[in-house]
Amino acid sequence: MKAKRKGVAANSKRTPTVRRIRPAIAPVSRPRGPAPFPPPGGRAGPSSASIAGSSAVSSASASAPRQSSASSSSASSPGSPSAQAGAPALDALGGRPVDLGVDLGRGLALANPVIVASGPFGYGAEVTDLVDLPRLGGLVTRSTSLKPKAGQPAPRMAEVPAGLLLGMGPQNPGLELVLERYASVWARWQAPVILSLCADSAGELGEAVRRIEGEAGIAGLEINLSCGGGGRGGAIPGLDADAAASYVAAARRGTDLPIIAKLTAQAADVRAIARSVEGAGADAISAINTLPGFALAADRRGPALGSGYGGLCGPAIRPIALRVVWEVAQAVDVPVIGVGGVASVDDVLDFLAAGASAVGVGVAALADPMLPVRLADELADVCRSLGVAAVGDLVGTALPARTGPASTRGAEWAR
Amino acid sequence: MRPFGAELVDRREIGPGQWLLAWHAPAIASSARAGQALHVRTVEAGGMPLRRPYAIATADASSGTLTIQAAGRSGPSGSSPPPWASSLRPGDRLDLAGPVGRPLEVDPRARHLLLIAEGPAIANLRLLIDEAVREGRSVVLLYGAATAASVYPSSLLPDEVEYVVATADGSLGHAGTVADLVFEYEGWADQSFAAGPTPLLGGLTQLAAGRKQRLGVATLGRKRGGGRPIQPGSPEARRKSFLQVVLAQTVACAAGTCLGCVAPGASGSVRVCREGPSFAADELDWGPV
Ligand SMILES: Cc1cc2nc3c(=O)[nH]c(=O)nc-3n(C[C@H](O)[C@H](O)[C@H](O)COP(=O)(O)O)c2cc1C
Ligand code: FES
Repeated sequence: MKAKRKGVAANSKRTPTVRRIRPAIAPVSRPRGPAPFPPPGGRAGPSSASIAGSSAVSSASASAPRQSSASSSSASSPGSPSAQAGAPALDALGGRPVDLGVDLGRGLALANPVIVASGPFGYGAEVTDLVDLPRLGGLVTRSTSLKPKAGQPAPRMAEVPAGLLLGMGPQNPGLELVLERYASVWARWQAPVILSLCADSAGELGEAVRRIEGEAGIAGLEINLSCGGGGRGGAIPGLDADAAASYVAAARRGTDLPIIAKLTAQAADVRAIARSVEGAGADAISAINTLPGFALAADRRGPALGSGYGGLCGPAIRPIALRVVWEVAQAVDVPVIGVGGVASVDDVLDFLAAGASAVGVGVAALADPMLPVRLADELADVCRSLGVAAVGDLVGTALPARTGPASTRGAEWAR
Repeated sequence: MRPFGAELVDRREIGPGQWLLAWHAPAIASSARAGQALHVRTVEAGGMPLRRPYAIATADASSGTLTIQAAGRSGPSGSSPPPWASSLRPGDRLDLAGPVGRPLEVDPRARHLLLIAEGPAIANLRLLIDEAVREGRSVVLLYGAATAASVYPSSLLPDEVEYVVATADGSLGHAGTVADLVFEYEGWADQSFAAGPTPLLGGLTQLAAGRKQRLGVATLGRKRGGGRPIQPGSPEARRKSFLQVVLAQTVACAAGTCLGCVAPGASGSVRVCREGPSFAADELDWGPV
């Protein structure tokens, strides 16, 4: 508890949730003709992140309106892009680049708010020929443990309505091998790589974090609070505010890297967990992980998956993820990364409006590896047509004004 | 293997609820080999982005077309194509990627190929038939189905193939399973290839293991030293194996990253999209059969 108090004190001095990084070179004159604003060239430091973002924007604006942004708009989402589709000439920014940059704290700057959630791209090196990696806002790796893990028996995937049921288990080759194989590769990449960690105990997590300290190529750590123990009765740490805090605190003690705590929506009150990990020193919070589900084999003689239960992901869990982001964003001051069922730019806009500073694409990236990059382009298009100069202006627009402490009653009473 | 838009050329029903879809995809058609798959971006209700693996059933490099076989719905009120293809008309485009995975490997010395398939899994071996016939090999296809109505149409097979059918209800050919037919041909075959439900493949693997003993083939002496050891998973390992199988599994990424497509291998799990879908039968762990 002591560590927690201390953490809160440190956090209260933190700068606001979304710190926008403006391009170092501000455009002064309007560019002539249809040519988009030329991307300013090679600069180091955090400002280069937003420059990279802006250049992505310029290339996006040069092309015709994109198909998927127009196809699946929901009337409720603010700035539904379909409203602007077909009017690519409209540019309320007068050709100025949109600032897509996001700062997740402790120097973790993303060139754009669309990252790849933990898992779908493995360690990234496997997909270099499928994805323009440098254009990703960031990449979270598969969850990695101190020792190798074999994962669950096959079959590991089952199709369910609007989603996929996954029974992978935390299969990974172990931290040592991962660092040896990939750290030097990541160090050469432009997109920040966030290493996801899972551990059976807070102590083991601390050991893993100490092992990582000093490795090049790792921009941040994500603590997967959906695996391991430490909760009451051996439950996963994400269900228990104290256990979650002990995991994050153990990581915090071992590193100066930015720490993202990945919450699970299984917790009875995610706000309590969120406040607890914020207090323990998390720089950002991502939510949500997959949710436990079950499907039957075709012959109905048993489960469809070798693991029995599976984790549900995909559009089926999007409303739950949005609820959690909405709740967490009101409960904490640190930035929130919304994950769960993102498949279109409308989903990205929904998450931003609900309070996410960035979004993670999960299972949708399996079928469409270029989706995260395309979503960032489409997001820039939407910003441009709305006249929004910085994507941070779209964050939390749907949240009620914070006049007092967030409600401690159930989710349905939160308003 | 970046996906691209391929044009649907033709679409027709070849059996109850079984549809043949032909695509113009020259790059894949010219490089595809038997045992490989196509990764098809299907459109799902509820907005779930998904790709499904379909065996490349035929590939014609000269016209740039390839076909896949996909299950639709079949019921009293008639049958319909797979939901994701129901709104597609010839001329429409769909996002395809491929070829996915490792191909089947035929030993250049093998003259007699025994192919064993059950149900729609025939699509996994269909291209092998064309390749083998083109190379002048003899092919026997043993095919199992539930009833005569669901038997793969012989009109879709080259004339050169000897086609032997088993049906569970005895309405056509042998009454029983396709595995019953194997004994009659195993002495003739130089190599065999199978696709179908896992229990069938496991059973065939067991049969293949006892084949030499049944046939009285003596293995004279031990091969001494020399030669490199055959790498498991290599084309050579498949080429040297009497039985190769094509495994079916949910393949979500086909890039080897998601680890969702694993199957139990003889030494640890294997990814069907990368190490498969074609395997030497003894590279897999079939569990208690
Ligand atoms: C193939 C796959 C592997 C995943 N592996 C991990 C993992 O190792 N660690 C983790 O915290 N989440 C993992 N996830 C969960 C995702 O990061 C994400 O939280 C979840 O899938 C919900 O997002 P989605 O609906 O966009 O997929 C995985 C998801 C998928 C689809
Ligand atoms: S389908 Fe993803 S690893 Fe094979």
